[in-house]
Amino acid sequence: MSAETVQTIIDDLGALLLFTMILIVAASQISRAIYAVAAQSFLIAIAGAVLATATGNADLWVIAGVTLVVKASLLPWILHWVVRRMNVRREVEPVIPIAATLALAVAVVVMSFHLSASLGSVRQAITGNALPVGIALTLTGVLVMATRKTALSQMVGLFASENGIFFTAMAVTQGMPLIIEIGVILDVILAALVMTIMVLRVRSTVDADIADLDRLKG
Amino acid sequence: MAETLLWVLPLVPSVTALAMLTTRRRRILSAIDVSGSAVLLALTLVLAREVAAGGPRSLGVFRVDDLGLVFLLLLVVLTLAVSIYTVGWLKQAVAVGNMKAESLRSYFALVHVFVATMVVTVLADNLGVLWIAMEGTTITSAVLIGYHGHRHGLEAAWKYIIVTTIGISFGLFGTVLVYAAAADVMGGAGSMSWSAIMQVAPKLDPGIVRIGFIFVIVGYGTKAGLAPMHLWLPDAHSQAPTPVSALLSGVLIKCALLGIIRFQTIAAAACGPDFAQNVLLVFGLISVVVATPFILVQRDVKRLLGYHSVEHVGIVALGLGFGGAIGTYGALLHVVNHGITKALAFFAAGTAIARYGSRDMRAIRGLLTVAPIGATLLMLAALSLAGVPPFSIFVSELMVLRAGIGNGHWVAIAIFLVMVVVIFAGLLHHAGAMVFGEPRGANRRAEAWSPLLAMMLLAAIMVLLGLTIPASFDGVLRRATEIVVG
Repeated sequence: MSAETVQTIIDDLGALLLFTMILIVAASQISRAIYAVAAQSFLIAIAGAVLATATGNADLWVIAGVTLVVKASLLPWILHWVVRRMNVRREVEPVIPIAATLALAVAVVVMSFHLSASLGSVRQAITGNALPVGIALTLTGVLVMATRKTALSQMVGLFASENGIFFTAMAVTQGMPLIIEIGVILDVILAALVMTIMVLRVRSTVDADIADLDRLKG
Repeated sequence: MAETLLWVLPLVPSVTALAMLTTRRRRILSAIDVSGSAVLLALTLVLAREVAAGGPRSLGVFRVDDLGLVFLLLLVVLTLAVSIYTVGWLKQAVAVGNMKAESLRSYFALVHVFVATMVVTVLADNLGVLWIAMEGTTITSAVLIGYHGHRHGLEAAWKYIIVTTIGISFGLFGTVLVYAAAADVMGGAGSMSWSAIMQVAPKLDPGIVRIGFIFVIVGYGTKAGLAPMHLWLPDAHSQAPTPVSALLSGVLIKCALLGIIRFQTIAAAACGPDFAQNVLLVFGLISVVVATPFILVQRDVKRLLGYHSVEHVGIVALGLGFGGAIGTYGALLHVVNHGITKALAFFAAGTAIARYGSRDMRAIRGLLTVAPIGATLLMLAALSLAGVPPFSIFVSELMVLRAGIGNGHWVAIAIFLVMVVVIFAGLLHHAGAMVFGEPRGANRRAEAWSPLLAMMLLAAIMVLLGLTIPASFDGVLRRATEIVVG
């Protein structure tokens, strides 16, 4: 593949990633948000495969495979399992209206492109528009975490945020060292497990949802 | 020898954690706990000696230099103090039912895994490993914060894991950006190791390093408890079991500061020292100002100490922000002084809480009558935290002030001084009320020896560092300062 083709594909994937992000922000049901974040991880895995073919870097194949197995399949499955297990009837419970969150998300995307347009030569070290897309995904993921009360929506935001970082990291010249990426994914899995255990524990020991815990102040 | 120690050090707490799983008896667990921490301390001292004689050593993704050594020494000393303290604390906690006797081994194992992740954080040369270990500390300590399993503990643990994980993803993004800048200069796959990036740092693209540094300071700053990202800190510090509070406040937030300092050196080389210093200055001032009102109106003694940590992390950031040899030296010394003193304060507060069965400072009265030694130590810690000479914090705060005056940051100095005076009054008011007066509702049993021993150890270090800084430690601090200032 020529450099331009790769760049075009990465840019197209970036557009699709931003689209899945809109789906996550706009989702009024938690299960839809989980499907959207799974689709997003799937796109990241494709991006990894494309970059692996283009650069001939075998590490990226491994990362694409791990992303597919862990972030596009395993973690969404765990989230769905928790939804069923807890019999979640309360959905995303936004702190501010979803329309307002969407407007903020748009502002974040515009700002990210503006920010990275102001960067000079170093942009060549990162393929295509992976940098602004990555910044936009990361910040929007944080936005989701900050504007949702329920534990599962916050976890979806976290995964989306990590996806943004991975997308940028893959597009940096040759990707990050394999061992580091594996370590990062391992941390994400562990964090997800600990969070899941906490969600279940709050339900079983104090019979409440995480969203109801708001006594600590001042 | 020193190279071997680099991979042995993280192994020691890991092996200790595994050893915990072999038994359920409290006495044996405590014995393993104390001896594991003592071995860690002894090996670190050997490493410190080697580094003083032969300079920085590296092995794979690990590296130890004097900068890391400052934090490592603080970490191992506090780990040992915490282990000694835990002996007596645990006996009491099990007796009143705060800790379940059958699950003690998982508690001990988690504490040591937590320590192991912090050791890796301090020794990491590779910035990716630094991040992975930092997220590892979040995961292990989140479980520890919610260990009591009651409603408030779980709330604090959830808030902690969510806020710091959000924060730390910013840190990873910043790391990726700095790596991208380095890969651009180095060509090929580039390197994520701090020492390799430092060699090409002056050639890095300033624009991207600036954005990277902002991401890093927001990210690791969340973990360090810099305001306005400190929201998790008072909750976590107040709800965690007391030994864990001491580790969080004494070491964990300092490890995050080390991460910030590593990136500060890269940013200073790439875009000149002013940019990073100004950012640190702003966050430092915000932290000091935000913490003050909460310290004044606080009723929960552990929350009080938590907000106080926000203030002191702010002071360290101010020291780094004023910069120069004096400011940086003062900031590093403050890291150690605050770590030792804050752990002592948490220990003393923890024993008082156990005695009165309440964290509310209005309920804790007349401690001096029922527990004279503990009360004296609490008062010493409060005096030191408030910045009274001749205790150690006075010395480092003075250095930070001198650096600020020397560089002409008059506005920052004025705000800093006002806040320090207000906090001084507030803190001594709170401590005085707890120590003096007529004890009501206090348990009058004799003071347990092991918490006292741990506290006296820390108090001795606190007083010593206030009177004089030993030549060998001064050497470590000086060389560490050179690494930062360049």
